[in-house]
Amino acid sequence: MVPIKYNIRSLRNRWVSSLMTILGTGLVVWASVLAFGLADGLDHTLAISGDPLDLIVMRKGATSETNSIISESTAREIDTLAGVATDAAGNKLYSSELVVVVNTPRRGEQAGSANLIVRGVPPVGKQVRTGFRIVEGRENKPGLREAITSRTMARRFVGAGLGEKLDIFDAPFEIVGIFEAGGSASESEVWTDLEVLAQATKREGVRSALQIRVNSPDDAATLMNRIENDEQFGLKAVTEPQYFLDQAQAGMAIKIVGRTIAIVLTIGAMFAVANTMYAAVASRAREIGTLRAVGFSRRTVLASFLLESLLLCLAGGAVGCLGALPLNGLSTGTANWATFSELTFSFRFGPAVLAQAVLLAVLMGVIGGLFPAIRATRMKIVDALREI
Amino acid sequence: MTNSAPETLVKLREVSKEYMRDKIHVPVLSNTSLDIPKGEFVAVMGPSGSGKSTLLNLVAGIDRPTTGTIIVAGQVLNDLSESKLTRWRSHHLGFIFQLYNLMPVLTAFENVELPLLLTPLSKRQRAEHVRTALRIVGLSDRMDHYPRQLSGGQEQRVAIARALVNDPVLLLADEPTGNLDATAAQEILDLLQQLNEEFEKTIIMVTHDPRAARRAHRMLHLEKGTFVETELDALEAAG
Amino acid sequence: MKFLPYILKNVLRNKLRSVFTGLSIAVSLFLVTVLYAYINMQDEVGKESEKYARIVVTAKQGLMFPVPIAHLDKVRAMQGVKAASPLAWFGGKYKDDKIPFAQFATDTSAIFTVLDEFTVPPEQLSAWQKDRSGCVVGEKIARKRGWTFGDKVVLKGDIYPVNLELTVDGIYDGPESSDREMLFYHYEYLDELLKQARSQLAGNAGTIFVKAQSADMLPSLMTQIQARFASSDSPVRAVTEQAFRQMFTEMLGNVRAYIRNVALAVVVSLVCVAGNAMAMSLRERTREVAVLKAIGFSRTTVMSLVLFEAMVIAVGGGLVGTLGARALFTFGDISFMAIPGFAAFYVPWSTVIFALAIAAAVGLASGMIPAWRAARMSVVDGLRKVV
Ligand SMILES: Nc1ncnc2c1ncn2[C@@H]1O[C@H](COP(=O)(O)OP(=O)(O)OP(=O)(O)O)[C@@H](O)[C@H]1O
Ligand SMILES: [Mg+2]
Repeated sequence: MVPIKYNIRSLRNRWVSSLMTILGTGLVVWASVLAFGLADGLDHTLAISGDPLDLIVMRKGATSETNSIISESTAREIDTLAGVATDAAGNKLYSSELVVVVNTPRRGEQAGSANLIVRGVPPVGKQVRTGFRIVEGRENKPGLREAITSRTMARRFVGAGLGEKLDIFDAPFEIVGIFEAGGSASESEVWTDLEVLAQATKREGVRSALQIRVNSPDDAATLMNRIENDEQFGLKAVTEPQYFLDQAQAGMAIKIVGRTIAIVLTIGAMFAVANTMYAAVASRAREIGTLRAVGFSRRTVLASFLLESLLLCLAGGAVGCLGALPLNGLSTGTANWATFSELTFSFRFGPAVLAQAVLLAVLMGVIGGLFPAIRATRMKIVDALREI
Repeated sequence: MTNSAPETLVKLREVSKEYMRDKIHVPVLSNTSLDIPKGEFVAVMGPSGSGKSTLLNLVAGIDRPTTGTIIVAGQVLNDLSESKLTRWRSHHLGFIFQLYNLMPVLTAFENVELPLLLTPLSKRQRAEHVRTALRIVGLSDRMDHYPRQLSGGQEQRVAIARALVNDPVLLLADEPTGNLDATAAQEILDLLQQLNEEFEKTIIMVTHDPRAARRAHRMLHLEKGTFVETELDALEAAG
Repeated sequence: MKFLPYILKNVLRNKLRSVFTGLSIAVSLFLVTVLYAYINMQDEVGKESEKYARIVVTAKQGLMFPVPIAHLDKVRAMQGVKAASPLAWFGGKYKDDKIPFAQFATDTSAIFTVLDEFTVPPEQLSAWQKDRSGCVVGEKIARKRGWTFGDKVVLKGDIYPVNLELTVDGIYDGPESSDREMLFYHYEYLDELLKQARSQLAGNAGTIFVKAQSADMLPSLMTQIQARFASSDSPVRAVTEQAFRQMFTEMLGNVRAYIRNVALAVVVSLVCVAGNAMAMSLRERTREVAVLKAIGFSRTTVMSLVLFEAMVIAVGGGLVGTLGARALFTFGDISFMAIPGFAAFYVPWSTVIFALAIAAAVGLASGMIPAWRAARMSVVDGLRKVV
C-alpha cells in the first residue's frame, strides 16, 4: 500500500489544479444536493401530513379535496355513522369543510401569483388535526371575516401576514393568527370559518370534504367500507396517509427532474476528474516508474491513484454539502398539480440526502479516476523511468 | 559609410547583469563592452554558467541588463517597451536553440511559417518565403513532415529556416550543435557559414565545441563575467 | 484567421483532454439548454398566444369548479365573439402512461376556428365531425406514438368515471411553438357517457375558449362575460389566454429560481473545469510559449491564441450539447419522460443561442487566467525550463 501521505502531498503540490477540480466537482454536488433536498423536503411534508386515524371523505371520482363536492345534507348523514371518535367533552371529532382555491400574488417583485388553498373549518376542525396550535395572535372567531395561516404562508403571500387583509373572492379577511401544524401540508393553507367562507364564495350548503377522526384502525376500515359501499352517498373515504400518497405525484416530477440533473452533472464532472487525473499520471510517470521499480505491484499503484481521485472528489463532495447546509430549512413552494394550488415546504438535507451526495462524489472519483489509474499501471517501468 | 569601415551591428556598453536568487545577488556579466560589426561570425565560448546564454538573451532583447546600454542595428534596446521589443525582434532577429524548440504539432512548413504570421504577407507570399528558406537549409522535400519524423540535424535545419524566414540581419544561436553528432554538427556549421558568407548574416554563436568555434571569424571567451579574447590554438593547447 | 490551423492543432494536441473537457461542457450545457428551454418555451408560448386574441373562461372559484355548458351559447351570442368551444381536460390514462397527455372534449365545429393556428385537412375535419367517437390528434404525438387514421385510442378516465374509446379521424399541424401533442374529441360523446353513468360531472364545459373578432375587443369582452354570469349560480372569470398560461408558468414559481441557481453553479463549475484543463495544457507547453515570444509573438497575440483555443473547445462542446438537446426534443421520442409540462416540449433556437453564448463565455473565462499567465511569463525562464 502506497502511503496516503504521498497522495495528499501530490494533491498539495499541484494545488491550483486540485482546487479547481474540487470547486468544479463541489458545485456539481451542490446543485445535486439542492435537488435532493427539495425532493426530500416535499416528501417529508407529505409524509408527516398523514395520520392513519384521520379519514378524508370526498366525492367518488374526486382526486383531491379541491375538486370534491358534497352536499351539506349528505355530510350530516355521515356524522351519524358509527366509528367517529369523540373528544373528552363528548363532541364528535368530525369536521365538514369547504375548500376553495384563491389566486394570490406572491410577495416580491416579479414573483407572480399562485393558487393558495383557503379552507373553511368549523370550530371542531382544529381538534381533528394533530399538532395544530396557534403560535402568534389568536384563533379566528366564528362568524367573522377573520382567518389564520402559517408562518411560511404569511411570508410568501401578499396580504397573508399577521394583521394584514387577504382578499378571498373580493372579500377582505383579516389575518388574526399564525398556526403551526407540525410542518404538514396544512401549513400551506389559510383557514377561516366554514360558514363565513361559504357565504363569501356563494357556496352555502356545499362542502368539499369531511375530516373524520376514528379511534382505531379497525374502526377506520369499517367506516371506510360503510361509506364506499353506500350507493346513495356516492362518496369515498381514504386515510390521510393514502390521500397524501396520491398527491406525491407532485413530488415525483421534482424527484425525476432532480435525479436527472444530478446524474447528468455527475457524468460531466467525471470527465473533468478524468482530465485532472490523466495529467497527474502523466506528470508523475517517473515516480510511478520508481514505485514499480522498488517493488510496488500494479494493483497497489492502481489503488493509489484511485484513492487520490477519490480524495479529490470527496473534498469536492464536502464543499458541495457544506455549501448547501445554510439553505437547510429554507422554505419554498411548488405546484401541487393534484389540488392546483401551491404546496409550501422546506429544503431538508437529512442523512439520506447527504449520503446520496457522497455517493455521487464516490462515483465521480472512482469512474473518473479509473482509466487514468489503469494507464498508470500500464506504463513500462523502463519507459517511465526514462521520461523527463 | 564606406566599405573599408563596416558599421557596428551590435554594441554593448558597460553592460552588467545580475540575478537575484533567494535574496542573494548573482552577478553574471560585469561591465562588459563589445562591438560586433555587420557581417561578422562570432563564436562565444566559456565554462558552463559563465553567462553565455545570458549574453544572447540580452542581445535578443528577451532579457534586460541591470546597467549599461545595448544597441542592435542602431536601436537602443533599453528604450523599447516590452511590446515594442517583441515587434522589433520579429523583424530583426533569428533565434536558434540547442533543443531546436520546434512546435511538435506543426509540420516543418508550418513551423517555418510561424514568424511570418506576424507580418501582413498574403498566404501565397508566405508560402514562397517558407519554400525559399527550406530550400536554403536543404529540406525542400521534408516540408510536410512533423518534427518527430525528422532527425536531430534536420530539426535544427528547420529551426534555422524558421530563424531565417523573415530575413533578419542578426542570427543568434545558442549551442546549435550541442545535441548533434559530429556529422550533423558539421552540416549545421556548414549551413551557418554559408548563411554568413553568401547571405551576409551576422551570427553570434555560443558553443562548447572548439571545432565549431573555429568556423567563426572571431572567438570571444567569457569568463567570470568578462570577455577574454583568446587565440583558439592557445586554448586548444591549454585544454 | 491565419492562426486558426495552429490553434486547432493545439486543441487536438492532447485529444483525450480536449475531448473530455468538451464532453464535460457538452453534457452540462445539454442540461442547461433543457432547463432553460423549459422556462423560455413557456414564456414564448405565452407571448405567442397574445396575437390569437383569445379569452379563457373558467369558474370563478378556480379550475377545479365546473363551468355549465349552458354558458356556452350565452357567450356565443355576445357581441365580438367569433367562435367559442368548450375545452374540458379529460386527464385519462393511455396504456401505461403514468401522467396523462392533453385530451380535450371540444365542439368539433368551433375548435379549429378558435385554435386557428392549427390546420386540419378539410376532408379529415368533416369525417371527424360526423364520427361521434372520433378524435383529432397532433402531428407530433401521432408521429411519436405511431397513430394513423382508423387507430383506436382508449383512454381510461381518472377524474371522470368513464372510459373513452376513440378513433383517429384526423391529424392537425401547427407552428413550431404550438402544442402539437393534444387530442381533441366530441364534447357530446363525453357528456353522453357521463349522463349514462349518472355522474354529477355531466354538463360541465371545463373551460370555454373564446375567439374574439379582434384583439382590441378583448378587454370589453372579458368584462362583458364576467358581468353576464356574476350573479348566476356559476360565476366565471374571463382572462386572456396569455394570462391563463402565465398562471401555469407562475405556479412553477421557485422552480425558476432553482433552475437559475443550477445553471449558475454549472457555469462556474465549467469555468473551473475547463480553466484547469487549459492551465494543464499550457503548463506542458511553457517552453513553446517562450519560443513564440522569443521569435516575436506579442503578449496580445499569445493571449488571443490561448483564449481562442479555450473558446474552440468550449463552443465545440456547447454545440454538441445544445444541438443534441434540440435534436433530442425535436426528433426523439421523449414520452418516457413522463413529467408534466415536458410532454409538449421543444427547444427554441433562442435557447440554443443563449446556451452557445454561455459556452463562449465559459471558454473565455476559463482561458483568461492561463492566457494571462502565458502572456506574462518570462521568456528567459520559459526557455530555461525543461519540461
Ligand atoms: N533567470 C535566472 N535567474 C537566476 N539566475 C540565473 C537566471 N538565468 C541565469 N542565471 C544564472 O546566471 C548564470 C549564467 O547563466 P547562463 O545560462 O547565461 O550560463 P551559460 O554560460 O549559458 O551556461 P551553459 O554553458 O551551461 O549554458 C548562472 O549562474 C545561472 O545560474
Ligand atoms: Mg547556456
